[in-house]
Amino acid sequence: MDVQKLRVATVARPKPTQLTDVRVFVVTKENFEQFEAEFIDTYGELAFVALSMRDYENLALNIAEIKRYLEQQGEIILYYEEALDPNNQ
Amino acid sequence: MFSSIRIAILLFFIAVIGAGYWYITKLQNDNQTLRNNNAQLQVAVDTANASVETYKQEFQRAQELNTKLQGDLQKAEAYSDELRSKFSRLDLVQDALKDAKNLEGRMNGATAKLWREFMANTGNSSERPLPKWLQPSTESPAGTEDPDSSGRTETPSSDSSTAEANTTN
Repeated sequence: MDVQKLRVATVARPKPTQLTDVRVFVVTKENFEQFEAEFIDTYGELAFVALSMRDYENLALNIAEIKRYLEQQGEIILYYEEALDPNNQ
Repeated sequence: MFSSIRIAILLFFIAVIGAGYWYITKLQNDNQTLRNNNAQLQVAVDTANASVETYKQEFQRAQELNTKLQGDLQKAEAYSDELRSKFSRLDLVQDALKDAKNLEGRMNGATAKLWREFMANTGNSSERPLPKWLQPSTESPAGTEDPDSSGRTETPSSDSSTAEANTTN
């Protein structure tokens, strides 16, 4: 009687992410005029997306959650790769 | 009559010898069968012992891997937990009213670092320069450059949680 072990070939990881930098502006009543001038100077038009501080926090927390999920998923993949590695069995 | 008795005794001895021979042959056959069975049982026991040993090793290895995995999963929670705790301690509105440029620099520093960590975690090993709005620049309007605003000059190699920690400045 032989003990049969499962053999699964590991596959290549997906292509690494290539992310683009995102700029944040902090604008208050005090610096709005300066922001306006600099913004128009940089982007040409005064059109922007605004977030409240609360929403900024929520966005940051959401991204942190996604980061956590990705990292944990990566660790689980590593776990399976190690568990199924025939050199370690 | 005498000869009949002799014949009977002779037949009796022949029968006894025949029965003895048959019995010994049977014993030998039984003995051989038992030896064969014993050998097969020994093989079965050896295989079972080997299997038990393999399962023990597998179980121990699975436990080690599982312990390591639990630790790694826990580590991945750290950034999220730290950020949540930081936001609960900070008042970003007050920080913005106090020094908007400082907060902006720290937010941009933390954001840039986060993207670079994302990229590194997915296997992107390219060293990417910081965006121009995070480069130490002489063009910054006077008074907006904060020496404590380390977020503006942070290097992507450090941890983003450190960058977030800078928001406490």
